[in-house]
Amino acid sequence: MNETVLTLTSTQENLWKGAIIGGFVIVLAVAALLTILVVEVRTIDRRVVKVRDSLKAAAHNTADSVLIGQTAEGVEAVLAEGLEHHLFLGRVLGKVRS
Amino acid sequence: MNTYVLLSVIDIVLLIAGLAIYLFIVGGQLAGVAEKLEECSDLVRQISKNAEPIVAGVSHINRTGGIVAGALPLLYGMAEGIVVGVTPRAEEPAERPPNVPAAGRRRSRLHEAVGYNPDATRKAPAHAAK
Repeated sequence: MNETVLTLTSTQENLWKGAIIGGFVIVLAVAALLTILVVEVRTIDRRVVKVRDSLKAAAHNTADSVLIGQTAEGVEAVLAEGLEHHLFLGRVLGKVRS
Repeated sequence: MNTYVLLSVIDIVLLIAGLAIYLFIVGGQLAGVAEKLEECSDLVRQISKNAEPIVAGVSHINRTGGIVAGALPLLYGMAEGIVVGVTPRAEEPAERPPNVPAAGRRRSRLHEAVGYNPDATRKAPAHAAK
């Protein structure tokens, strides 16, 4: 068996060395950028929790809005009663004047 | 040369491992955010459902309240008319006498001011005169 030995020129060695150093730099840059990404996503997570709490409070506040319909019916009843009073006062006023 | 190969393999493994770890972390965080946002979406739907009767109900209340507020002056005008009609009045005399002061005739104090007081000298006791 013939054994093949690869030899590199100094230029090739320098290029390889540069590629390795560049690769490490890129790994560090990717780590830094992904750390920033993780921190930002954590901030988003915290703020989404705040939004959820605000929405829960808003849902709790508007839970009794069904009562507005009942209040409208009550005001309608007040109007009907006021009309009865109007008719009664009209009758009595006519008698008092006569 | 073997050193360069080893360093290159380490470089590539570090890159892939770092990407995998970070993507795992970010994936977990984003899954949590998505879950919370789904909860938010449900809450928004609930709030929208709760807010539906507000506009119709409040406009109904405003309309009816406006009618009531407009009718109230008419009602208390009629009530005042009834009160005026029902309240008894004192009968007026057939012939009106001339106006006199309520306290009778006024007494002048000009004489007393100058020392002339005939009523006092007339009513003075007998031992005082002595």
